Amino acid sequence: MVDVLPSVFLRLKPKFTRVLLAAALVGTLGISAEAKAADDTIVVARAMDINSLDPARAYCDTCQIYLSAVYQPLLTLAADNKTIIPSLAEKWEVSPDVTTFTFNLNPAAKFSDGSPVTGDDVKWTLERLKNVKGSASYLMDSVKSIEVKDPHTVVITTKTPNSELLGILSAPYTGIINSKLASANGANAAEDAATSDTSDTWFLSNSAGSGPFTLESYKADDNLRFKRNDNYWGTKPAAAVVIMKQTADAVTQAQMLGSGTADIAMQIDPDTAKSIQDPNIVFQTIPSFNFVYVAFSPVAEGSPVPLTRDVREAIALAIDYKGAIDFTVGGEGKLQPAAIPNGFPGTSNLPDPETNIEKAKELLAKAGLADGFTLDLTFAAMNVYGIDLSLLAQKLEQDLAKINVKLALKPATFNVWVTDIDKPVPFTIGFFAPDYFGSAQYVQYFGMIPNMPWGTRAGVGKAEGLDGKEELELFNKALAAAIEQQEEAYRALAMKMIDDKIILPLVSPNLVLAHRKDIGGVRYSACCNLPLAEIVKN
Amino acid sequence: MTVAASLKSKSIWPGITLRWSSATLIFALFVIISFIVIAVTIPLWSPYDPVGMAGRRLQPPSALHWCGTDALGRDVLTRALWGTRYSLPIAVFVLGVAVPVGVLLGTAAGFFGGIIDNAVMRLADVTLAFPPVLLAMAIAASLGPGLVNTAVALIIVWWPIYARLMRAQVLNVKKLDHVDAAVIAGAGRFRILFKHIMPLCWSPILVNTTMDVGLVILLASGLSFIGLGAQPPAPEWGQMVAEGASNFYSWWIALAPGMAIFLISISSNFLGDALRDVLDPQVKLPA
Repeated sequence: MVDVLPSVFLRLKPKFTRVLLAAALVGTLGISAEAKAADDTIVVARAMDINSLDPARAYCDTCQIYLSAVYQPLLTLAADNKTIIPSLAEKWEVSPDVTTFTFNLNPAAKFSDGSPVTGDDVKWTLERLKNVKGSASYLMDSVKSIEVKDPHTVVITTKTPNSELLGILSAPYTGIINSKLASANGANAAEDAATSDTSDTWFLSNSAGSGPFTLESYKADDNLRFKRNDNYWGTKPAAAVVIMKQTADAVTQAQMLGSGTADIAMQIDPDTAKSIQDPNIVFQTIPSFNFVYVAFSPVAEGSPVPLTRDVREAIALAIDYKGAIDFTVGGEGKLQPAAIPNGFPGTSNLPDPETNIEKAKELLAKAGLADGFTLDLTFAAMNVYGIDLSLLAQKLEQDLAKINVKLALKPATFNVWVTDIDKPVPFTIGFFAPDYFGSAQYVQYFGMIPNMPWGTRAGVGKAEGLDGKEELELFNKALAAAIEQQEEAYRALAMKMIDDKIILPLVSPNLVLAHRKDIGGVRYSACCNLPLAEIVKN
Repeated sequence: MTVAASLKSKSIWPGITLRWSSATLIFALFVIISFIVIAVTIPLWSPYDPVGMAGRRLQPPSALHWCGTDALGRDVLTRALWGTRYSLPIAVFVLGVAVPVGVLLGTAAGFFGGIIDNAVMRLADVTLAFPPVLLAMAIAASLGPGLVNTAVALIIVWWPIYARLMRAQVLNVKKLDHVDAAVIAGAGRFRILFKHIMPLCWSPILVNTTMDVGLVILLASGLSFIGLGAQPPAPEWGQMVAEGASNFYSWWIALAPGMAIFLISISSNFLGDALRDVLDPQVKLPA
C-alpha cells in the first residue's frame, strides 16, 4: 500500500488561520471600543520604543513624549523650537563666567498628589539622574554641585563653563520627580543609585510628576494610557484621557487614522502619506531635527583596506545625497552638511555635501584602490523616521558600485546592531534625534574627542589624522561662549567634523504629522517630540 | 475535442491511462520547465539589471515596466525573473540533501529495527514535535540570516518526514511474500534490501518530493519575508514581497514575486498529484 504522509504544513494551516482570525477580531473590537469611549479621549497610534518610564532611566523617542506629559523640567522650549521659556522655574540667572545658574521655582507649582514642588525635589531629581547612570545621565556630566538656598531657590554650579545647561534643563529627562513619593517606593539619589535604586518597576505603573497628565497604566507592546492631572497647577489639558496604542507599521497607522480608531500618527512615511486621499486626515509635513548618517570606524577589525581619510572622502563623494532623499522619503527631506541638525547653533551656511564620481575615482586611484574593494555595511533592519534603512543601504550599494566599491549589506536586528557598533564595525548606518535644543550633545556624541562614543569607535588617538586635540579645544571654547557667540563657535566645530569624514549625514527627513480633521494643537517639538497637553478634539 | 479530452483516451505506456488531471499536469510541466529555462538563461536576455536602477521609482505597470518599478526604481519583473535563481536552487539543494538523508535513515530504521529504529525515530519525533515554521525560524535566527543558513534550517526540518515515510514503506514491503521467498532462497541481507525491498518503496518518496518542492520554496520565501533568508539587494521572492508590504499602496511590487511563488507552489502540487495518479495503482480511476 502507498502511504503518503500528509504534509505537516498543510495540517497546521486551518488551525493557524482560525487563531489569526480570532486574534484579529478581538484586536479590532478592542480598538473600536476604546475609540468610542469618549469625545475627550485621544488615541495616538505609535510604534513605541519604551525602555523605561523612570525619568532617570528612560531614553527613547516615546519616552520624550511620555516624560514631557507627566513630568516638568525647570525650563522648557517654546513652540519656535529655539527659545527657552519658564516651566517649573519662573526666573533664572546665569553668572558672567557661565558656571553658576540660579533658579527661582514658581511657588504655585505642585505635584499631582497636591504637595508643592520644592528645591529639595530639584536637587534630589538631578542628583539621581546623574547617579542612576542611565543613558541620559550624560546630561549631568558637567554639574559640580546643586545647592538649595531656600525652598524655592536652587543654585547649580558646573565644573567648567557650560552655556548649554539651560538647554539641558529643558530636556524631558530632567523632569522633576516628587522625591518623597518616589523615595517611599524604592528610589534614591545616593551615589550608588545605579544598583541601590529599585524603583524601576514602580515607575512602570505609577508616576510622580507635576505635569498636565498622570500615568494611568502601561502594558508593554500594547498601550500606554494617560489621565488628566486634576491637581495640575497650569492650564488643564482639554483631553481627559490620552491612549498611545502600539501600532508597528506605517500602513496600519494610516489605516487606523482612516477608520477613526486613531486620532494622531507621526510615523507614516511620506510615500504612504502621498498615496492616501482621505478628506478626514490632515497631513503636516515639517522639517525635523532627526537625521540618518553613515559612519566609518578606521580602527575596526574586518576592514578590507585601511579606511584612510582619502578612502573615506572618496566614498563620501560617491554618495548621491539628493538621490538618497528621493529614494527613501520621496524627496521629503533636507541635505544635512554636518552631524549637527539644520537649525541648531553652528549650522548656518555650511557647505552642502558634494557628489563627484570623477574626484572619488581619482582619490581611490591615488590610494592604489582603482579596482575597488568589498566593504561590509552593518545596519539595523528597521524603519526610522520614515526611512527604511534597508532601502537606504541598497541605494548606497548602487552608488558605491560606481567607484568599484562593493558594499556587502549586513542587516541585523536593532539589539544586535547596538552592540555591533561598539565592537566597532568598519562602516555602519546610524540615526539620531535630539535630547534637547543645543549643539553640544552632537559634538559629544559625534565629535572626534577622546572617550566620547564616536571618538572611541573611530579610534581617536589611534587612527591617522584623528588626534582629537583640536576638537576638544574647540568644544571647550564653545561651552564657555556666551549665547551670542555660540553660532560661530559651533560652526568651527561643524566644519572640523565635516573635514574628519567619519560621520556622513545622509538625510534629514521631514516629519509627517498626521491627524484626523477634528484634532487641533498638534505640533512637533525639538525637546519633547509631541506635546500632548496642547492637543484638543473639536 | 480539447487537449485534455484527447489525451484522456491515449496511454503513454501499457496499463497506465492519463485522466482529466492531464490539463493540470501540462500546466504544471509548462510552468516548471519555463521557470527552469528562465533560471538558466536569464543572464542572456535580462530586460534590466536586477539590482540597478531601471527607471523612476514606484511606477505602476506600464509598457516599459510590465510589472512596475520598486522603491529603488528597479524593474519588478526583471527581479522576479532573477528570483528563480534563488528559489529553484534552494529547493533542489534542500530536497537533494534532506531526501537522501531521510531515506537512508528511514531505511536503516525500518530494515534493521531495534536500537537503530528507536534512535532514528526518536530523533525524528523530537524534530517533528516542533511546528516546522517555528523550528526553521529558530535555527535560521540562531545561525544568522542568509540563504545558506536558511537551507540548513530547512534540511534539519525536512529530513524526518522522509525518514518516517521510508521506514513505513520498508516495514510494509518487508512483510510481502516475495521477500520471504528471497530469504528462503538464501539471499543476503543487503541483496534483499536493495533488490527486493527498496525498488518497491520509491513511488511515495518521489511523489512527496515533487510536492515538497513548492513547500520548500514557500517556507524559504517565508523566512526571507521576515528577514531571515536572502538579504537585500538579492532579488529573492519572499524578500521582494516584504518590500511590497512596506510599500503597501504600491500593490505591483509584491504582485510579480507573489505570483511566481504561487505558480511554482501550485505547479509542484499538480505535478505531485499527477505522479501519484500514475504511480499509485490503488488510486481508483474515475469511471
